[in-house]
Amino acid sequence: MPEIDLSLQVNGRKVTRRADPGQRLLDFLRDELNLTGTKEGCGAGECGTCSVFVDGKLVKSCLMPAAKADGAVIETVEGLAKPGTLEVIQRAFHKTGASQCGYCIPGMVMAATSVLREAPEASLDEIKERMGGNICRCTGYSKIIEAVELARDVVSGKATPAALEEDGPGESYIGTNVRRLDAPSKVTGRLKYAGDMVMPDMLHMAVLRSPHAHAEILSIDTSEAEAMEGVACVITSEDVPGTDGFGVFVHDQPIMARGKVRHVGEAVAAVAAETETLARLAARKIKVEYRELPGLFSPEDALKDGAPVIHDYAPDNLVKHIPIRKGDVDKGFAEADLIIEDEFSTQQVEHAYLEPEAGLAYVDADDVVTVISPSQNITHHRHMLSEIIAKPINKVRFIMSPVGGGFGGKEDMIYQGMLALAAMKTFRPVRLVFTREESIIASAKRHPSKVRYRMGLKSDGRITAIKFEMLSDGGAYGMSSEGVMRKAAILSCGPYEVDNIQVDTRAVYTNNTPSGAFRTFGGMQAQFATESMVDIAAERLGLDPFEIRRRNMMRAGSLTHTQQRLDSASIDRVLEAAERASNWEAGAVGMRGPERGDLNGPGTRAPCTLGARFERPAGGKEKVA
Amino acid sequence: MLTCQRYETPRTLAEALALWESAPDGARLIAGATDVLPWARDGRAGDVDLPMMIDLSRVSELSGYERHGGRVRLGANVVFQDFLEDPSLAAWLPVMPYCSVWFADDQIRQQATLAGNLVNASPAADGTPPVIALDGEIELCRISNGAVMCHTMPVAEFVTGPGRTRLAPNELVSAVTLDVAEGYGASFQKVGQRRSLVISVACVAALVKTDPTGTRFEDVRIALGGVGPVPQRLGDVEERLKGEVIDAGLIADVAAVTADRVASRSRVEYRRRVVPGFVRAALEEAVDRARSDRPAAANKEAVNA
Repeated sequence: MPEIDLSLQVNGRKVTRRADPGQRLLDFLRDELNLTGTKEGCGAGECGTCSVFVDGKLVKSCLMPAAKADGAVIETVEGLAKPGTLEVIQRAFHKTGASQCGYCIPGMVMAATSVLREAPEASLDEIKERMGGNICRCTGYSKIIEAVELARDVVSGKATPAALEEDGPGESYIGTNVRRLDAPSKVTGRLKYAGDMVMPDMLHMAVLRSPHAHAEILSIDTSEAEAMEGVACVITSEDVPGTDGFGVFVHDQPIMARGKVRHVGEAVAAVAAETETLARLAARKIKVEYRELPGLFSPEDALKDGAPVIHDYAPDNLVKHIPIRKGDVDKGFAEADLIIEDEFSTQQVEHAYLEPEAGLAYVDADDVVTVISPSQNITHHRHMLSEIIAKPINKVRFIMSPVGGGFGGKEDMIYQGMLALAAMKTFRPVRLVFTREESIIASAKRHPSKVRYRMGLKSDGRITAIKFEMLSDGGAYGMSSEGVMRKAAILSCGPYEVDNIQVDTRAVYTNNTPSGAFRTFGGMQAQFATESMVDIAAERLGLDPFEIRRRNMMRAGSLTHTQQRLDSASIDRVLEAAERASNWEAGAVGMRGPERGDLNGPGTRAPCTLGARFERPAGGKEKVA
Repeated sequence: MLTCQRYETPRTLAEALALWESAPDGARLIAGATDVLPWARDGRAGDVDLPMMIDLSRVSELSGYERHGGRVRLGANVVFQDFLEDPSLAAWLPVMPYCSVWFADDQIRQQATLAGNLVNASPAADGTPPVIALDGEIELCRISNGAVMCHTMPVAEFVTGPGRTRLAPNELVSAVTLDVAEGYGASFQKVGQRRSLVISVACVAALVKTDPTGTRFEDVRIALGGVGPVPQRLGDVEERLKGEVIDAGLIADVAAVTADRVASRSRVEYRRRVVPGFVRAALEEAVDRARSDRPAAANKEAVNA
């Protein structure tokens, strides 16, 4: 590769390096200078984890060629405060608990620093507007924004520096804000996620993925890739020494496609090479011959007679069926004054944690195959990998690196096996960092689900019977589908005591991206249907939506859908709190006319717009329009 | 992933044009570079190896701006954030701060140039509707017989379709020239899937100048973006309003017929619902701002006196 000379000032120190002419400033900072506090979340300027100051202006370093910054003064998160100390904004993040997974936090701290420099008197709305280029997936932003307001007030003198100190526990720790122990490492960018870790002699991995949803693999020719200078190894399913297959419940997923591919983006082969660029180049040289097979793209089609079979072990394409029966639904519907039926569907959702999947594997001096990754399930991964690589459990080690957001999406062992195989084949450390696109194409999603609902009610609103049928798209592999269906079934009919229920939840195989664990684990899809039905019923019966829920809610002594006797129930308090917080005006839908007192007003947000900086009173730094 | 064999940072227009003329096939001009890196990724261009990138951001002739009477000439390196931070630009081009605040985010606006936005010619570009409303012209330069030759053309003609312009090989954009609209009230309406960092599903740029009493439309400029292959100036709307008494009913009437201007191939029904509402909201907001700026200007004079 050609190289150019760059000379910059980074965090107050002069830096001169030779660099690739196309290298991004982000890579220059991370790879050449080891300033890994600047993160890569998307590589496309969307997320702000890579924000740095260039000549005093905050920019996204993934969008800037390093050569563009030649001669510039760069400030990264590592340069904000002297080592071992925290700046006001960092202390404010620590105080308010603004860091959770921490992966967005260095970028957030930089964006907040920019706000305080550019608009030291920014209002709440202006702070939000100015930080609009930085995404957080954990916090819902409240605590981050709270931290910026606190820092603003301390800097401007409206609050004393004591406001940054930890609140004492007083009489009890319960009900007191306690600062997170890991926050200082996150607000300074010191914490190393898997993608930040390096080892001497480390190789970089790139993965070749399937362009087809369902296809037989006729041949894989890796010879050209393997012959390239700088390529250490190429791996395919042929390299798996033990019993291939992983999954949270059923071990139906091979480390890399074996014999056929079942979804677009499935790993087919992987390369370990001296650089990431070389690994990607070599991966493109691998030739795979496919024979396309008819695919399944809707769960309904998967259940039809004669449908293509995706996994031989499941000729009916069923991943799991969870039935629940309680009472006698025929009797319950016969007693009903009103029967309503409807269908509800929810879509596929990506977790979009800001840290894309990343891992580092090596074989240690005692021949222990070690994998470092942000796995949400390391013990299970360790047991599965020991079978897959045919090594005793004491020769397999998993180390959980800081998880830059998981939300269920990092439960599946979709890349750790490849890293282990490459490390075993080369006896060198191997690192793989997913691009954002890879993370989206290869990781599990929330199950798209359809619920067919039938509900019978007495005219006073009491539910007499529910028939609930959920069909979920499990995608190409089982992953967490079984558990998700179980949870969906258990929670199906909501926190309401119903004597007669018939619940069936099913997940089926298709050639879509696999579905897996995602916050609520099936509960969201079920509750969307149930709560919508209760609202529809309230409207039909002329009842207040809170009242119909109170008439059906579980109490201490109630029998759940799965016939567990409850010692306690809190739905009454939840309803009371929600009613109070929303300033709810009691009454059935449509009874209050167009003027409702519980819309708008305190506690509600104005429509989403931009331009808060234009509203700043005269005397502010920036009033230009 | 983007790789590149050679990165050049010319300091003068002549140097830049000489490099560009002799550049190997596949070479790219960049200014802010905010579009080239996301382009070279999976799902778009994939891994791209460019033989050469010519970074124009340090070309001295392309920086800054000058006012010549009723026109302002913006060097091609003027970035969107400049419209928010430079009081002269904000006063002369009152629609640009409102457009800019909806463009990408504060960080990308520090790099992304208005000229680059025009050259990319995305149908969803936020920069083109205000430029067209302000009778924008684009200045294109090339080397001819060893000399720098420049010519201009209206931006409305320059952009010919999605990603397509009349930029010739060997040419680069040196400036964008716009009408000075000092004293106009302005508005920019945009809807996308979120606030920051989102391209327009539809956007409207409007400027209104009232008569001295604030009761009649003296001049109206309005253009749509995101609703067809190229941005559209709503000349008929402008003509119907000019000279008329400002009236909410009239604004609603002229806005109502603009749904027909939607020429997109997707989300047509949604866009047809949004556009008339946006045209009305943009005109109303621009009128309000045109009126509210008058007493403010009067107060300033009083203070100065």
